[in-house]
Amino acid sequence: MAALVNPHIFQTRPSAARRWERACFGLFGAATYLVLFCGAAVFLTIVAKGSRTIFKAEAPFINTTFFTDAPESLYVFEWQGKKLEMGDREHRAFIEQHPDAAKVKTESYIYAAGGIFPCIVGTVLLVVGSMTIALVLGVCAAVYLNEYARDGAFIRFVRLAILNLAGVPSIVFGLFGFGMFVIFFGWNVSLLSGWFTLAFMVLPVIITASEESLKAVPKGFREGSLALGATKWQTIRKNVLPYALPGILTSSILGIARVAGETAPIMFTAAYVVRDKLPWQVEKFSDFFFQGVMALPYHIYVVSSKIPQNEYTERVQYGTALVFLLIVAVIATASILLRNNLRNRYKW
Amino acid sequence: MEPSRAAEPAEFLTGRRKFHLFGLTIDECIKVFFGGNAVVSVVVLALITIFLFKEGFGFFGLNQQSLRVYRQAGLEYVDIIRAQQDDHTALTRYLSDLRLRQFNYFTQQQHLAPAEANQRLAGFDEFADRFGGAVGPIRGLVSDLTETVTAIKDKFTNTENRKEERRQLLAEGRTADAAKVEITAVDFAAELKPLLATRPAYVEANAEFARQLSAVIASAPAMPIPDLQARMDRFKQLTGEYLAGFPAVEQKLKTWDYTRPVPWYQTVTSFILGRDWVTASFWQDWYGVIPLFIGSLMVSVVALFFAVPLGVGAAIYINQIATPLEQKLIKPAIEFISAFPSVVLGFFGVAVLGQALRALSQQPSLAWVPGFPFSERLNILTAGCLLALLAVPTIFTLAEDALNNVPRSFKEASFALGANRLQTIVKIIMPASLSGIISAVLLGLGRVIGETMVVLLCAGNRIAIPDFTAGLAVITQPVHTMTGIIAQEMGEVVRGSIHYRALFVVGLVLFFLSLLINYVAQRIVRRYRISIG
Repeated sequence: MAALVNPHIFQTRPSAARRWERACFGLFGAATYLVLFCGAAVFLTIVAKGSRTIFKAEAPFINTTFFTDAPESLYVFEWQGKKLEMGDREHRAFIEQHPDAAKVKTESYIYAAGGIFPCIVGTVLLVVGSMTIALVLGVCAAVYLNEYARDGAFIRFVRLAILNLAGVPSIVFGLFGFGMFVIFFGWNVSLLSGWFTLAFMVLPVIITASEESLKAVPKGFREGSLALGATKWQTIRKNVLPYALPGILTSSILGIARVAGETAPIMFTAAYVVRDKLPWQVEKFSDFFFQGVMALPYHIYVVSSKIPQNEYTERVQYGTALVFLLIVAVIATASILLRNNLRNRYKW
Repeated sequence: MEPSRAAEPAEFLTGRRKFHLFGLTIDECIKVFFGGNAVVSVVVLALITIFLFKEGFGFFGLNQQSLRVYRQAGLEYVDIIRAQQDDHTALTRYLSDLRLRQFNYFTQQQHLAPAEANQRLAGFDEFADRFGGAVGPIRGLVSDLTETVTAIKDKFTNTENRKEERRQLLAEGRTADAAKVEITAVDFAAELKPLLATRPAYVEANAEFARQLSAVIASAPAMPIPDLQARMDRFKQLTGEYLAGFPAVEQKLKTWDYTRPVPWYQTVTSFILGRDWVTASFWQDWYGVIPLFIGSLMVSVVALFFAVPLGVGAAIYINQIATPLEQKLIKPAIEFISAFPSVVLGFFGVAVLGQALRALSQQPSLAWVPGFPFSERLNILTAGCLLALLAVPTIFTLAEDALNNVPRSFKEASFALGANRLQTIVKIIMPASLSGIISAVLLGLGRVIGETMVVLLCAGNRIAIPDFTAGLAVITQPVHTMTGIIAQEMGEVVRGSIHYRALFVVGLVLFFLSLLINYVAQRIVRRYRISIG
């Protein structure tokens, strides 16, 4: 009370403008925290529900079969007063033992039992292949743009193309991959088609990231090398690329997250709804490249749209979503952390 | 000095001979190699265009043929009468709505028992029955004609299949087999004769129909309250308009001519302006992009409605207001949100958000919100909310960059003139970075409109133009989108069919839309950039 009666002369007095300012800043802050809250809500819901699938109460605490088995149908039936849930193989063995069980009313849910091993394998294969292609193409393109090219109509055109390529919707890449690789080249639904489709999709990200890293290498490095009589290529190889490479790789990790996370481009080019064989179970080596694979994002799409929502299917839905989210999240976090780390590492 | 010595190059200038490949030195080869990789992006962009065109362009020819058959086989003729019948059905729907309102009035305002209310409505029901029954002769005619024209179309399709078979046999070199394939050309004039012969019968039925309707309308029962009476008058007026349209329909049928050619532009306009996307129908397939385009647009508008204030607000907060610690923590967190795979968000919508929003909408305290309560779990709103979450990081990052690029001196000058922080932000920093913020919003729009999995899983996938008469409540209706339709139907169509090609044309529309958005965003940045000098 005393403060109000006899305020200090420099104390700011409450005014309408100040109240406005407070209120508006509050609103901006609220917007920020609302975004964070929504992100956290999505993330935590999936973590909370999905962890019931991938963890369990007894040792080794991780549901290993979920990571090592293939998806199979789930059978639910009542047997001698107890409710039993079994995967496909287990159920068949059970029926052989108890022939009566075949007559019991049984509900079956497709894909709701087993694990997601083939999907993880397929996603890893897709990511590795497409990132290899994209890195080779992207880094070379960036080296050209940053080291060799002189500003001109052609370079402007290339830059414009990269910029526009970045904005093309992923489903259009899927259509393009389907039209070109699957049909025109006759590769059918295969790893190879998926690799190239995804690689082209992520190319702008890689080029932009690589160019930024190359730009960060000081000009003096190049000039010094050239002054000592090295050729252009020697300069690039010895004095530019080694310093730019960490930056290129860390920024490209964000590209990995993008490749792993996209569903639309692989829907018609590489992904199968279900496949019994694992990718390395092929007759001859060349078949490896021309086989379709199961992939995590497509599997999530299948289990969330093609099967009903209930307590039995929920486990595999949330479990798959959590595994996928964690993989992508780890990649993305690694990229963000490494990038922040890198910023402080080289100081020229 | 001997002249030969002078011609020889000095030894120190070149130690060894340079290696040449196609007339290029190694260094030049390397340069060409790198340059080649840079060209890949241009090539890919060109290839996308080429392949979308290559697969999609055939659509227009096929569609024109489909439209021609639609006319020649008489389907168009039957659809004219059918439209008349459908308008009548719409009128009967109006009547049943009126009945419901009366029923509610009796039970809720006058507190009558349902049975009693129904009894009071007996007169109205009889009126409605007579109104509904009047269409009988027309309906009978339409169903007869439907059979006739479907038979003609089937015959034509058969002939086309035979032709295709023969073409294949010829291509395989089996001339003898090919000669055996019988092809009987469909004589549309002869086939359509029975159809056109029903004209007098139609005119007669129509006259009877009109007479009955007029009689029914004249004996319309009175309504209990003025509000409902006004609706009844409106109904009478609508019926009057409907009846007035009859001569036009008859005239249309009279002048209808199956030989009238289908103009080439109609195949394009029927795609761009077509209001129906109907596939695999026994009657006629329509490929109109309007319902899908409107679906995409509505979802994007809702998404941006949420994402723009949140994204820009967060960018301002982080860039201008937040403490360094907040900046350090929140920026990566929002970037992290951008890494959420869209299919996971779609799954979240199906499993959690759809249900949650529906439950929220059914709270009695929220009934004032337009469109609440709704019963469709998956709709524009659900998809829009999730897409907003996808768009926020894009908008945030780009807008924050734009704010960052505003020179410090602007801010300092503003403070020096006595403006407070809010005034500085609103009057100085925002206008200075407006071009960047607008382009951020546009790129967010590009991201949202091209997003596939979220809308495929959460937008409800009903192919229809949403009912805009509902006002703002339109956002609680399900729609289908351009991206969603490609993802959903591409896997099931026959390669090379008209449907397959139509999907590629939709892809083409998306492609050029994204290029346009990109172009406009770049233009805005370049045009309105504040020169800092």
